[in-house]
Amino acid sequence: MTNIVLNETPVRTSRNFNINNVKLEDIEIPKNIQAFKNVKVSELSSKIALNTDFNNFELKYGLNDFLTEQVNNNANFKANIVIDSKTNKDVKIDFKFDEANKDLIDAINIVANEDTKSTIIVKYESDCNVQAYHNGIIKAVAKSNSVLNIIVVNFMNEVSNNFLSIENCFENDSKINYYIIDFGGQNSITNYYSNIKGNNANSRLNTLYIGSDEQLIDLNYIGELYGEKSNVNIEVQGALKDKARKNFKGTIDFKKGCKKAVGNENENCILLSDTAKSLALPMLLCSEEDVEGNHSTSSGKVAEKELFYIMSRGFELKDALKLLVRAKFNKILEEIKDEELRNEILEQIDKRIG
Amino acid sequence: MAKTQLEEINRNIYDIKNKDEYDYKIKKGLTREIVEEISNQKNDPDWMREIRLKALETYNKLEMPTWGPDLSELNMDEIATYVRPKSKLNSSWDDVPDDIKNTFDKLGIPEAEKTSLAGVGAQYDSEVVYHSMKDELLKQGVIYTDMETAVKDYPDLVKEHFMKCVPISDHKFVALHAAVWSGGSFVYVPKGVKLEMPLQSYFRLNSPESGQFEHTLIIVDEGASLHFIEGCSAPKYNKVNLHAGCVELYVRDNAYLRYSTIENWSKNMLNLNTKKAICGKNAEVDWVSGSFGSKISMLYPMSILNGEGAKTEFTGISFAGGGQNLDNGFKAIHNAPNTSSVVNAKSISKNGGKCTYRSLIRINENATGSKSSVSCESLMLDDFSISDTVPTNDIRTDEVEFSHEAKIGKISDKTIFYLMSRGLSEEDAKAMIVRGFAYPISKELPVEYAVEMNNLINLELEGAIG
Repeated sequence: MTNIVLNETPVRTSRNFNINNVKLEDIEIPKNIQAFKNVKVSELSSKIALNTDFNNFELKYGLNDFLTEQVNNNANFKANIVIDSKTNKDVKIDFKFDEANKDLIDAINIVANEDTKSTIIVKYESDCNVQAYHNGIIKAVAKSNSVLNIIVVNFMNEVSNNFLSIENCFENDSKINYYIIDFGGQNSITNYYSNIKGNNANSRLNTLYIGSDEQLIDLNYIGELYGEKSNVNIEVQGALKDKARKNFKGTIDFKKGCKKAVGNENENCILLSDTAKSLALPMLLCSEEDVEGNHSTSSGKVAEKELFYIMSRGFELKDALKLLVRAKFNKILEEIKDEELRNEILEQIDKRIG
Repeated sequence: MAKTQLEEINRNIYDIKNKDEYDYKIKKGLTREIVEEISNQKNDPDWMREIRLKALETYNKLEMPTWGPDLSELNMDEIATYVRPKSKLNSSWDDVPDDIKNTFDKLGIPEAEKTSLAGVGAQYDSEVVYHSMKDELLKQGVIYTDMETAVKDYPDLVKEHFMKCVPISDHKFVALHAAVWSGGSFVYVPKGVKLEMPLQSYFRLNSPESGQFEHTLIIVDEGASLHFIEGCSAPKYNKVNLHAGCVELYVRDNAYLRYSTIENWSKNMLNLNTKKAICGKNAEVDWVSGSFGSKISMLYPMSILNGEGAKTEFTGISFAGGGQNLDNGFKAIHNAPNTSSVVNAKSISKNGGKCTYRSLIRINENATGSKSSVSCESLMLDDFSISDTVPTNDIRTDEVEFSHEAKIGKISDKTIFYLMSRGLSEEDAKAMIVRGFAYPISKELPVEYAVEMNNLINLELEGAIG
C-alpha cells in the first residue's frame, strides 16, 4: 500500500483550498505485472498500422513521474497507431478487467499523418467485482490538416483505480476531438494536456463524468495555446451522487504569440445528494493581448421545475433524474457517432444514476 | 500602431516625500528583543505583550507561501517594523506638525472631513497622528479611535475580538502583523445606530525600508449600519517597504457594513494585507476595492457568513502597470442556510504588469439554499502584460445555486473604431473604454473617491496607450 501525490496543477493556489494536487492513501500499486490478455483490437483497415515501435514517453505534465515511469518500464500493452488515410474504419481497443487480468499498464501512441481523418475508441471495462488497477498514457500527434477523434471510455467498477495521462500535440490546421466518458473507478484520476503549437489548430475536449458511492474523480485538463488563431474548447458535464467527490482543474493558457486564439471552458456539475462535493478551479492564464478567453462553471441540484414537470407525467423520481442527466449529457453524446457505444453509455448512465 | 511607453509615470501628490524624520525608529530585523521593545514603546498591557510574543513564535514556524508572486526579495532583516513619527495623537489638524499636515492636505483628507465624512483617522508611519469624529456620533455611543487608545480604554471589547476573526496562525504575514502591529482604527457602532456619513482612516507610510502594520477592528452591533473608507499611499523609494495590515470586521445580526478601499501604495511596496469579516444573521458586508499601487500585492478579503440569511458583495478592480504583480481576489465562506455572495471583479494590465484574480467560494454542508454568483473580467492593454484568473469553487451541498464566469481579452478594435468615427482620438477612445470598464466599481464609491479613482486611471493610462 502506498500514499501518492499526483495531478499537480500548472499554477499553484493557496494550499488551504485543497486543489493544487490530489493525495491518495493506501493505494495498491502492483509490482509484478502479468500479461493482460483480455484485450480486443478491432480489425484494421489497410491504411492504419499497428505496432509497438515507439520511444518512451516524455510528458510535460502527466499524473506524476512515478506513474509515467511505470508505463515506460512496465507496460503490459503497447500500441503505436499510425493513420495514413482519410477514410478508415474506427479503431477500437477494448480492455476488459477480470480476475486473471486485473492490472493494466498501457501505452498508446497515435500518429495522425497529414490530411488524414480517423476515430480511435479505447474502452476500459470491468463488469465483475475485481479490484483492478489501470495506469495508462495515450499520446497523440495530429499532423498538418489532420482530424483525429479519440473516445476514451471508463466503465470500470467502483473498487478499481483508474490513472490516465493524455498528451496531444498539434501541427498547423489540425484538429483533435477528444471525448472522455469517465464513469468508473474508486479513484479516477486523469491528466489531459494539449500542446497547441500549430497555427489554426483546434483542440476540443468533451467530458461526461458520473460519481457515486465514495468515488473520487480528479480531472486536471490543460490547454496551452501557442499557435495563431488556435482554439481550445473544454466542455465538462457531470453528475455526483451519494458521497462522491469531484475535483475539476481546467487551465487555458494563452502563451505569448498566440494572436487571435480563442479558449472556452465550461463545467457544469449536477449534485444529486447533499453529501456529494464539487470542487472546481477553472483557470485562465493570459500572456497575449489579442485573444478571447471565457470560462464558466456552475454547480447545483437539478431544477425543481423540470423535475416536477417530468414527475407530473408519471415518472418516478429515479427515472426523472435519469432523464434529466441524460438530457444534460445529450449535447456531447450526440457527437459520438458509434451507435452501439452511445447506447452502452446510455445504459451505464441509467445503471449508475439509478 | 506605435505605442508610447513610459517606464515611470508621475504619481504627483502620492510621490511627495517628506524627510525621513521620526521620533523613534526601531532597528531593522525581527527578533524577540525587537518585539519586546515595540511592546515597551507602546506600553502594552501584559495580555497584548503575550499575543505579540506568541505570534512571533508562530511566524518563525510558518513557511512562506508556496504559491502566488515571488516574495524572495522580502528580507525582514532590512525592514524596520516600528517608526514613531514626530507627532503625538491630535484631535485638531492645527496641532499636527506642518510637514505631516501638508501631506494629508495634499491628499485631500481634511477637506473631505469637512464636507463628507463623519470622522477621520490619519496614520503616519507607525502611529496615528490625528483622530476625530463628529460630536453627535459620540452622543449616540459610537466609538471611533486609534487602536492604542482602544486597547487601553476598552480592553474587554478589544480582548474579545482582537485576532479572533483572523487567527494568528492563518498565514505567515498575519503572524508577523500580530507580533509587530501598531496603529490602525477601532470602531464600535452600537445597536441600531445608522451612520449617514462614512468614517475614513488614511494610512501614509513615509519612512524608507520600513513596514506599516496597522490593525483595524470594527464592530457593527445588531441592526447598526456603517460605511468605512480606508485609503493608503506612500512615496516611492528604491528599496522595498512592507505593508502587512490586518482588518477584522464583526457585523452582528441585521447589521450592515460597507468597507471601501482605495489602495495606492508606491511601486516599491509589498502589500501583504489580510481582511476578514464575520457576518451574523441577516447581516451584510459589502467590499468595494480599488487596487492601483504596490509592487506586489496579495490581498483576498474574506467574508465568513455565519448567520442565516447573511449576505456579502465584493466589487473590486486591480490596475497593474510595469513592474507590478497584483495578486488580488476574494474569499466567501457560506456557513449558514440561505446565505448569498456576489462577486464582480475586474482587472486591467498594461506596460508588462501582471494581474491575478484568485478566489475561493466555499458553500459548506449546512449552507442549504445559498446562492453565489461570481463574475470576473480582465482587460489587457498591450501584448506584454499578463492577466491570470485562478478561482476555486468548493461546493459541498446540493441545495445551492452557484455560477462563475470569467472573460479575458483586449479592447475591441470595433469599439475603438466606432468612437474614433465619432471624433475621439484613439487615446481618448481607449481611456473612455477603460473608464467604462471600471464604472461598475467607481459607481459604488462616494463621488469624491470615484473622482479620485478616475484620476488614478487617467494617471495610469498616461503613456500606456497611444
